Amino acid sequence: MSPYDSATSSGGGSGSSASSSAKPSEIDGLLAGAGYKVRSSDLRHVAQRLERLETAMVNSPAEISNLASDSVHYNPSDIASWVDSLLSELHQTASMPSDLPDLPDLMVAPAINHTVLSDAAWTDQDAPQQLNQFTVVTAMEEDSGIRLVHMLMTCAESVQRGELAFAGSLIEDMQALLTRVNTSCGIGKVADYFIDALRRRIFSPQSVCFGGSGSASLYENEVLYHHFYEACPYLKFAHFTANQAILEAFDGHDCVHVIDFNLMHGLQWPALIQALALRPGGPPLLRLTGIGPPSPDGRDSLREVGLRLAELARSVNVRFAFRGVAASRLEDVKPWMLQVGPKEAVAVNSIMQLHRLLGSDSTRNSPVEVVLGWIRNLNPKIMTVIEQEANHNQPGFMDRFTEALYYYSTMFDSLEGCALQPEKALAEIYIQREICNVVCCEGLARVERHEPLGKWRARLGQAGFRPSHLGSNAFKQASMLLTLFSAEGYCVEEKEGCLTLGWHSRPLIAASAWQAVPDANPPLGIVNHHSNHNAL
Amino acid sequence: MQQKKAEEKEKKPKFFINDHADILTEILKRLDGPSLGVAACVCRLWCAIARNDSLWEHLCFRHVASPPPSSVRPVVLALGGYKRLYMVCVRPVLTRLGHSDLVRRRVWTRDEVQLSLSLFCVDYYERRLGGASASSLMFLCKPVNV
Repeated sequence: MSPYDSATSSGGGSGSSASSSAKPSEIDGLLAGAGYKVRSSDLRHVAQRLERLETAMVNSPAEISNLASDSVHYNPSDIASWVDSLLSELHQTASMPSDLPDLPDLMVAPAINHTVLSDAAWTDQDAPQQLNQFTVVTAMEEDSGIRLVHMLMTCAESVQRGELAFAGSLIEDMQALLTRVNTSCGIGKVADYFIDALRRRIFSPQSVCFGGSGSASLYENEVLYHHFYEACPYLKFAHFTANQAILEAFDGHDCVHVIDFNLMHGLQWPALIQALALRPGGPPLLRLTGIGPPSPDGRDSLREVGLRLAELARSVNVRFAFRGVAASRLEDVKPWMLQVGPKEAVAVNSIMQLHRLLGSDSTRNSPVEVVLGWIRNLNPKIMTVIEQEANHNQPGFMDRFTEALYYYSTMFDSLEGCALQPEKALAEIYIQREICNVVCCEGLARVERHEPLGKWRARLGQAGFRPSHLGSNAFKQASMLLTLFSAEGYCVEEKEGCLTLGWHSRPLIAASAWQAVPDANPPLGIVNHHSNHNAL
Repeated sequence: MQQKKAEEKEKKPKFFINDHADILTEILKRLDGPSLGVAACVCRLWCAIARNDSLWEHLCFRHVASPPPSSVRPVVLALGGYKRLYMVCVRPVLTRLGHSDLVRRRVWTRDEVQLSLSLFCVDYYERRLGGASASSLMFLCKPVNV
């Protein structure tokens, strides 16, 4: 039967394909028109095998010549068996050992690995089973990668059920499997970190949580944070977006006060100081209050940062005053420490700090409500809130683990494009610490309690704030910043006045701005300076 | 006849560009960054003129739609000068944000100027923090990963 014959014999193409979709054992009409006999029920199988064959041929071109000369294929119109026979030929000639010499060739772009993860419906409870259905296995290494993920989920499940012995044995199996996977990128790297985190949770939970207050770990935190700032655009996006909102809110005010909930090296503030210096009408008097952990070795790191910022402000002729507030936890800060003056325009800036206040159980007077309460009483012109866009505060361990696996694998994916070393390596350690906190710690020790934007909206709305839309300037600036950044794949999205930065349509960090809803009856004893344009 | 021509030639003053620094400056003002760098290698006079920061100021804002306000200059000078602004921020930003063949004809928007200035300020600050950590703008120098 020649191809041309089949084309004419199945002339009513739509008719035959309609019938073939009704009866799965029928030959697929569309492919029959091209001269191939494939059963409709086999279509997915054939597609998978074709993809596998394609990858195998691309990655090992030497074996193709064998195929061309030595192998004999019967009846190529029966694609299913043809592809199967080709694949078995290739696997015989290739004879892949477990530690492959040309590993980089087989490791196709990490995007593929993570597409698999994202396609396999993470939101579903039965994630492991669906993984088996939807995965396309294109190379032996990806086989191992998928198996690793499957085992991670099983291990997490057994941890949730309390079967620690079984979980421990799974850890050992996974570590054995890890040796056969490339752990320098892609699924191998992410799995490596999560296996490590699970191992710590099972075997040594006390030693894990990096909330240590030793001087070494504080300094380490700052260094890691700085390298995370440089390796990827998330913190830059946060700083620039927040600065834009603050700049717009301070328009027309001569006396402004910024409260930074986590000063670190103060990298956010030079740009604001410069923008204020150049604003039409001249710069205001800028006061900055920086909150940070106390430095144990007598070094006043907050004051040092303040001095640097003051020096910068002096060079560009901006009147500047700095105050450092040392507090190991944000809930220890009391409003009187901030010394807010009555006539100042106040801006509160929280970059990935509010989530630390969320205790695992929502009791009355929880720390977050207390803090939001006093922020509101300060009547800030603007409060900028930047948070990780993830749901890592769910009560069930399995849910948290699944969400974290998806979130951090996307983040590691985005980091692949970074060419700066050692920034990239240290940024990964920074992320690893977050992972450890989410996976290993419980109770008060677990501070990385990320919640998505929707939950923050509700929480802030209840606390008496209303959203202040980030304007198009912020969006333009964020887009420009991303264009400058080398890796393509980052995307900025605007969602109801908030901006999110993500990697390939998965938002990873969300920036929003808020104003206090004006109180009908201002609380007694606190001087609130309401100007006319405030009560909008 | 020939004598007259020879006399005329002697009377006509010879023109050396190096005698006219102001004309030279005007010419150099119209060069692009790389050409200005090359010009600085010609001789000591050209080098001195090319080092003049106002030349680089002209280069930085040549393509801006409207001239920047006068408050910009003291800020830029305090943060390291226009030459550094060009090398560290303006040139990479222009290359990244516009196609390189259109760079010369492209008009800057105010937002791009703002962003360059902000990045320049961060660079200044990081250098003051400690030389080793002044790499936040390194991403501008790396080739774009297409």
